[in-house]
Amino acid sequence: MTELAVRLSGVTKSFGSHTAVSDFDLDIPRGAIVGLLGPNGSGKTTMIRMIMAILLPDRGTVELFGGFPDFARRSRVGYLPEERGVYEKMKVLEQLVFLGELRGLTRQMARSRAGHWLERLGLAEWSGKKVQELSKGMQQKVQFIGTVLHDPDMLILDEPFSGLDPINQDVLEAIVREERERGKTILFSTHLMEQAERLCERVCLISRSRKVLDGDLKKLKRQERSGAVAVEFEGDDRWLMRLGIRDIERVDDAHHLPVVDQAQYDAILAAAMQAGVALRRFEVLEPSLREIFVRHAGEQAEEPPMAAMGGGR
Amino acid sequence: MRQVWIVLRREYLERVKTKGFILSTIAIPVLMLGMIGLSAFLGIQAERSERELALVDYTGRIGEEVASRVRSYGYEMELVDRVVALDELDQRVLEDELEGYLVLDDLTLSEGVFAYRGKDSPSALRRALFENAVVETALELHLSTMESAGTVRALIEGGQLDYESVVESTGGEGAEVARIRGIATGFAGAFLLYLTMILYGQYVLRSVLDEKRNRVVEVVISSVTPWRLMLGKVLGVGSMGLTQVGIWAGSGAVLALFGIPFIAAQFPSTELGGFLQYLPGAGDIALLAVYCLLGYFLFAALFAAVGAMCSTEEDAQQAQFPLVMLLVVPFIMQMTTIEGGGFAWMDWVALFPYFSPVMMFPRAVAGAVPWWMVALSLVFMALALVGTAWVAGRIYRVGILMQGKRPTLRELVRWVRTA
Repeated sequence: MTELAVRLSGVTKSFGSHTAVSDFDLDIPRGAIVGLLGPNGSGKTTMIRMIMAILLPDRGTVELFGGFPDFARRSRVGYLPEERGVYEKMKVLEQLVFLGELRGLTRQMARSRAGHWLERLGLAEWSGKKVQELSKGMQQKVQFIGTVLHDPDMLILDEPFSGLDPINQDVLEAIVREERERGKTILFSTHLMEQAERLCERVCLISRSRKVLDGDLKKLKRQERSGAVAVEFEGDDRWLMRLGIRDIERVDDAHHLPVVDQAQYDAILAAAMQAGVALRRFEVLEPSLREIFVRHAGEQAEEPPMAAMGGGR
Repeated sequence: MRQVWIVLRREYLERVKTKGFILSTIAIPVLMLGMIGLSAFLGIQAERSERELALVDYTGRIGEEVASRVRSYGYEMELVDRVVALDELDQRVLEDELEGYLVLDDLTLSEGVFAYRGKDSPSALRRALFENAVVETALELHLSTMESAGTVRALIEGGQLDYESVVESTGGEGAEVARIRGIATGFAGAFLLYLTMILYGQYVLRSVLDEKRNRVVEVVISSVTPWRLMLGKVLGVGSMGLTQVGIWAGSGAVLALFGIPFIAAQFPSTELGGFLQYLPGAGDIALLAVYCLLGYFLFAALFAAVGAMCSTEEDAQQAQFPLVMLLVVPFIMQMTTIEGGGFAWMDWVALFPYFSPVMMFPRAVAGAVPWWMVALSLVFMALALVGTAWVAGRIYRVGILMQGKRPTLRELVRWVRTA
């Protein structure tokens, strides 16, 4: 029994002249909750589709639960595609029961679970309505239920939160966390850094079809801690100049000082004491995920033209 | 198997529950039956006018008999004394006391010419009935004085051509009836087969295309193999088709069972019994069912493959063209040879499995080909079905997850090879 839920090694996928995923390695341990982060068009969806064997890589191997993502392995995954796929003319409950039965639940079980989930996501009164009568956000919730209904070992969610209002985002986040507590492996993609920061233990940053960074979020932050210090005080700031630190930045009431080693922290503190200013704040700054990303990938001003994405979406 | 059943059930229920299905399946036949029934009813009512007819017989020899014949058709008829002036009768017609009246005179006896006087000209049916009554009666009168009455009667009734096959033991008296029945059944059957294959085939195509376009298939495919999905879909649409055809056939049978005797009862003189013998027998219908099922699956698989390789409606319209041709060509060829065998080589063309339903079924029921050819066509179709399903399954498997441009023929071949 392998400990990995997903392993990509040297995976490359092109559509015509456009390379969507390039020489990609990624390991996702079982039970982890991993965020796949990157701007639109960076290759997140292509990667997920390769994990689900909807696309086959041009080069490299994709393993799911220790082997080729064949039918048996895929059926252990609850998959929420980016472009929502629902039978629009089916009634909500019937649709969920259909999906549940298809994944091996009995009719009664599928019905009762679907009922429970609809209740929980506030859709109970819509269960007899056709899906096309629901708003986009509601349709998305219905599809999310379809993803978790059969209690799969792993959830793969492509942009699960996009298009939802903040309240529903919170509801969904809570459910994702809960599923994680229950021991499920969760992989989701998002372009919202803040969300990933709240939810993930591990992140994988993608930019222009390549992996920028991946690993444990806390460790990453510690690693990436450039050592900046924010200092806020009342009084004269001439003592700061005397420290001999260059590139001091003024951010609101605070000064941000780039710091290289421990000795410098001590020097700053000592200098502040000596100068006799009233120190309000002294904080070692952790970089946000966004900062880490920007630091490593550079600003992604330019997005690939849609035409190049044609085959990949 | 359970998954196939689940897909089938969804496909079936989702189709059968739509308004379109209910409308096309139930409302149309009901409406048609209703309209036929209503017009028949109204027609009969009109014929059965409350108002009386009258008859003046100046010959004094056939009036009684003609009146009784006309009464036997269900009309009220008064035999008027010939001393009554016609003006008086005209007046009664104008006052709507009489519908109209017949005037028979010597010319009626010698040439069968007689008059009907009324406000409106008689309907075609009424005209035929009157003529029949008068001519028959006059004829009887003349024949009764003739020695060779039986011979003349027989000749008047019309001659009869008896077909005698030089091949041994082709069914004696019923042979001609069987021949016509064969042609009629074959024609109707070929049309029905053509229609079901093209109609339900396109349902399959649309179903596949819709699922692909709204990406449901990407979700579903993680829980069910493409092959099972396709099978369930084809079976589901097929069941829907069976239901629809069943309802149509059922209402047709009801019409035949109750409608024909009903109409026959209204017009005892007409020979509807003769019509019934041209209806197909159980054996023909069973054969039709076999061709229908094999043909449906054969084309449903192809239509599913076409649906899977397209991404847009317009694409699908173009891509299905060869399939439609595969159905239209045999249908046209069949039309040219409907009166029988046609060219002998066509019998061999009819063995081509995709042409067989439309071309071999009519030949089979018309007895135009030996039984072994029919059997061979069924075997070929079964083999073709296995091959088609295999190829279509592979195209389907790759196609449903592909987006964008329709594949070229070369790419298709690669799909089939690598799937």
